Amino acid sequence: MSTTKAVDLPPDTRSRSRARSDPPRRSRRTWRQSLRRDWQLYSLAVLPLLFFAVFRYLPMLGNVIAFRRYRPGGSMFGDEWVGWRYFKLFWHDPSFWHVFTNTLVIGVLTLVVCFPMPIILALLLNEVRSRSFKKLVQSVSYLPHFLSTVIVAGVVMQFVAADGPVNQLLHHIGHKPILFIQQPGWFRSIYVSSELWQTVGWGTILYLAALTSIDDNLYEAARIDGANRWKQTWHVTLPGIRPTMVTLLILNVGTFMAVGFEKILLLYNPLTYPTADVVSTYLYRMGVISNNFSYAAAIGLFESLIGLVLIVTANRISRRAVGTSLW
Amino acid sequence: MVTLDTTTVEDRPSTRPAGIRTTRGHRVFQTVNTVILLGVIVVTLYPIVNIVARSFSSDAYIRSGKVNLWPRGFNLTTYKAVMTNSMFWTDYRNTVVYTVVATVVAMFLTTCYAYVLSKKDLRGRGVLVGVAVFTMFFSGGLIPNYVLVTTLGLKNSVWAIALPNAISVFNLLVMKAFFEGLPAELEEAAAIDGLNTYGILWRVVLPLSKAVLATMVLFYAVSFWNSWFAAFLYMDHSDLMPVTVYLRNLIAGATNGTSVGFTEADATAVGANIQAVTIVLTTLPILVVYPFVQRYFVSGVTLGAVKG
Amino acid sequence: MTNISRRSLLVTLGAATLGLAGCTSSGGSDKSTDLSKNRTDAMDTFAVGQQFKATAPVTFSTLLNDNPGYPEKGNWLFWTELAKRTNVTLKPTVVPLSDYENKRSVILGAGDAPFLIPKTYPGQEAPFVASGAILPVSDYVDLMPNYKAKIAKWNLQGDVDTLLQDDGKYYVLPGLHEDVWIDYSFAIRTDVLDALGLQIPKTLDDLHSVLKAMKAAHPDSYPMTDRWSQPTPGGALLQTLGQAFGAGYGGGWGYQNATYDAGSDAFVLTGAMDQYKAMIDYAHTLVAEKLLDPESFTQTDDQAEAKFTSGKSFVISTNAQELVNTYRPGLAKSVPNAKIVKIAVPVGPAGDVKVGLRLENGLMISKKARDSKDFVAMMQFVDWLFYSDEGQIFAKWGVEGVTYTRDASGGFQLAKDVDYVGLNPTATKKLNVDFGFSNGNFAYGGSTQLLESTFSAEEKEFQKVMTARKTLAVPPPHPLNADEQEQFALWEAPLKDYVQQQTLKFILGDRPLSQWDAFKSELKGKNGDQYLKLVNTAYDRYRSKKNGSDKS
Repeated sequence: MSTTKAVDLPPDTRSRSRARSDPPRRSRRTWRQSLRRDWQLYSLAVLPLLFFAVFRYLPMLGNVIAFRRYRPGGSMFGDEWVGWRYFKLFWHDPSFWHVFTNTLVIGVLTLVVCFPMPIILALLLNEVRSRSFKKLVQSVSYLPHFLSTVIVAGVVMQFVAADGPVNQLLHHIGHKPILFIQQPGWFRSIYVSSELWQTVGWGTILYLAALTSIDDNLYEAARIDGANRWKQTWHVTLPGIRPTMVTLLILNVGTFMAVGFEKILLLYNPLTYPTADVVSTYLYRMGVISNNFSYAAAIGLFESLIGLVLIVTANRISRRAVGTSLW
Repeated sequence: MVTLDTTTVEDRPSTRPAGIRTTRGHRVFQTVNTVILLGVIVVTLYPIVNIVARSFSSDAYIRSGKVNLWPRGFNLTTYKAVMTNSMFWTDYRNTVVYTVVATVVAMFLTTCYAYVLSKKDLRGRGVLVGVAVFTMFFSGGLIPNYVLVTTLGLKNSVWAIALPNAISVFNLLVMKAFFEGLPAELEEAAAIDGLNTYGILWRVVLPLSKAVLATMVLFYAVSFWNSWFAAFLYMDHSDLMPVTVYLRNLIAGATNGTSVGFTEADATAVGANIQAVTIVLTTLPILVVYPFVQRYFVSGVTLGAVKG
Repeated sequence: MTNISRRSLLVTLGAATLGLAGCTSSGGSDKSTDLSKNRTDAMDTFAVGQQFKATAPVTFSTLLNDNPGYPEKGNWLFWTELAKRTNVTLKPTVVPLSDYENKRSVILGAGDAPFLIPKTYPGQEAPFVASGAILPVSDYVDLMPNYKAKIAKWNLQGDVDTLLQDDGKYYVLPGLHEDVWIDYSFAIRTDVLDALGLQIPKTLDDLHSVLKAMKAAHPDSYPMTDRWSQPTPGGALLQTLGQAFGAGYGGGWGYQNATYDAGSDAFVLTGAMDQYKAMIDYAHTLVAEKLLDPESFTQTDDQAEAKFTSGKSFVISTNAQELVNTYRPGLAKSVPNAKIVKIAVPVGPAGDVKVGLRLENGLMISKKARDSKDFVAMMQFVDWLFYSDEGQIFAKWGVEGVTYTRDASGGFQLAKDVDYVGLNPTATKKLNVDFGFSNGNFAYGGSTQLLESTFSAEEKEFQKVMTARKTLAVPPPHPLNADEQEQFALWEAPLKDYVQQQTLKFILGDRPLSQWDAFKSELKGKNGDQYLKLVNTAYDRYRSKKNGSDKS
């Protein structure tokens, strides 16, 4: 009996490794076969799937209140159907589209500035020879990540105040002081710079981790081929961290609508509403978030839909263009 | 036989010595690079040093905006006020417990799922990724979540913090991307050697993934360490709160009465440097632990060849 | 964040009192009167002057707003003495003050709330009215003799009526003040006044000339800078000025889109009022003459405090607390011989008046409590603790002979080893920290004598002047029904935003006041007219309903 078992095993193993290196066959395999072959792999997914089902998808049912009138304290799923009422409310509100545009602009600017900088910083760090200097720069650049938004906003306000460092600098070159915080034209620059300051160091962590996984033999080979450091970076380092870059880019594209609500709330004022007011701050002032859960849910669904479309699109483009994708 | 050469190479740059080192262009680059990075340090450090200085300064100097890079009117009153409170230490202990438990749970679930998702030819993989990505954009509201946690009986326990936030999809996808980058040959060889899937993950994949594991532990731990909302929502007693809630409340108490002035009885006498003290006290432990994690970022891993 | 939400809640207080209403089934009237099954442990008769005591020990659950200045302790004398006097044990669910409103909203929404929900400011109950999660307490005031007596004695019916929802009931038991309590005014450097031979300004015109004189003597500085501008620009300053010019509750924190005009018996747009324009004009003059720092309307409190305490500016908004806790210690370091006082609120064209509601934060009661067999006992208990003289003194001062003593004239004196707000600085124990009294959850409101019993001599002087001023009548209620409320919410914020924004532009000189009429017509474009129509319709409906019921 035992011999039969021993004989049975090897072919199974062999077929498995062959199948893996041979993707076209995959599609012909039935679910039953897949389950039998990969049950151990699937078993690893059971607990995570349970997590998603219970803690993510179950509460999602509550979103039905976007279509039903919810009264705080009443049924969690709303009291009566109102159809598209709450969607129409914001769809026909011109102020909503104004703040929606602001959200897009700030989101895109933040993405364009704050996405590439950590990569550049990580590459620069990678070139540093002194270990202790590298460690120092790394550790210091992470610190802003730990500051609360209130503090960061306070620092920013002091920086651009009438008697702050920026205006003192302007004074030195003979410029009149600018009340930055009251000028709608300056708000976006101020916001994006502060975001950059806060995130650039922490953002390098993933790239530095990815850099460590690049096989040193590749550099060796490049050197033998006569590549200089710049070429090594271009042909070895960047391709090496490309999966990480693409993953982060796609994720950022999908979530760029989620601008920093708390920071904007602390930095803006009625004079800068024309450029600074975003969807979340607008809803906050309307008291929608605290009072009208149905309205908030409708806008939430709308934003979610946009995010989902964006990430699916970004993923598709990326798969076609560079062959890397999230799924 | 497979032999895995996972020796870590302590100083990565030294593995890239080159004849080019001597070129003039490279020396210029090194200088410019150093200057840029020094600039980063200065720009980043200035506000931080200011915060530390404020935390040790007296109220009057802070209020009149006279504290810059060095404490003025040095005093430890606020530190003492915060740290002599037994509730502070109780809550600090809670934070440590919550962070450790939640990070362990999160790492376990995330690693398992990320590994599954990294298998490109797995049937149904697209659906499994979709299940996760969808939740980045669609989520339940506050009240359904509260009802869920209450119904499951998790309130007032560490599980109310650990379970509902066990997988961050962001971290999951980063980890998946990393696993995908590992050479498939190693796993196949291990499979031929008779290791099952669990064995491959545990004995082959994870040892090769120290850098990303360290990153993920750092990401999870820092986010749990700083988090307050779940605990605030699901804990009903002050001795179950993490220190973030304690300090948040302290700050609110110090600024609340003064900014509203509505309630006569709510005056609190806490120093103007309470925010600064708070930042120092909550960030310090992370800074202390960080060097141990950092080891994995500056060291490389050489992947051994598969020998037949 | 917390402060922002808290503050803006107060700001929108008036607006929010309009409330989410309607849709409440009115069918409960017979049910609400039948209390025969809910009288367990209650006293058969309970009247003013009587000590409440449940006939058997009973426990009520309560939410507790946990102040970090005096964190909750299970062994507070407050709990034990309360149980001794009333047979009631309170079982608290402790919620950090920082995010109290948030948690209250969630647990009420999830149906998980305790019976008593204190620290609820008028207007905050509105979202929970429609679902029936909280009790229409106005149906049960007959169980509360002390509450009714206070309303009658202090003539508070008009104030309480502002709580009414569209169904003619109200859902929060407010804290009651005998008089409008004004706390915000200006702090001014008297040493600078003396050096220039100036008097303390009594009117807004005085203030203007004092600032001018200061400017003349210190041409490089802005004599006045201001704070409390985040998130509402000029929160305190424009409120004070607006009230002095007679623009309803004023600008800043007090700003409401609609102000009641007694002459036409209707609501008008505050932002379009001549009085509001006069306020803008005044503030603009201060800025244009470089008397008021233009950053006043956008800077952080920290920045403003730094300018004032370093001696760069000489006038700033204040309340009693900031004067003592912030400005004096700050100034003492940089300008050792500086002296400051909180001046009586300068009088403007509106005359010697003060504006405000006499309602404080109070209690919501969970609907579940109504079905409890101890419901009547609970209402009697609430009435005693929160509204009887004895209960209020107990909650604030504690136990006579242990935490305080009273002198022959009825004045309160802390016990030798007990301190509160620095009244007894050498004492080792604190009234709120160690004993649980003067706790913001249970001690507030009351008679002017009780309110002022913990004030400093200086603050009492200020209050004396303010008490002498005439209190203007509160505007009539205009409760909205649910559909109106949803529409209202959509118009309210954009209109208010626009007024705030243009107010700042006018004041800072970005827009000339010659464009005032253009501004008024722009308000129409922001749904100003429809907004007013909504409010006035609701008011007319309320008025006719009230007149109808008065006749019957």
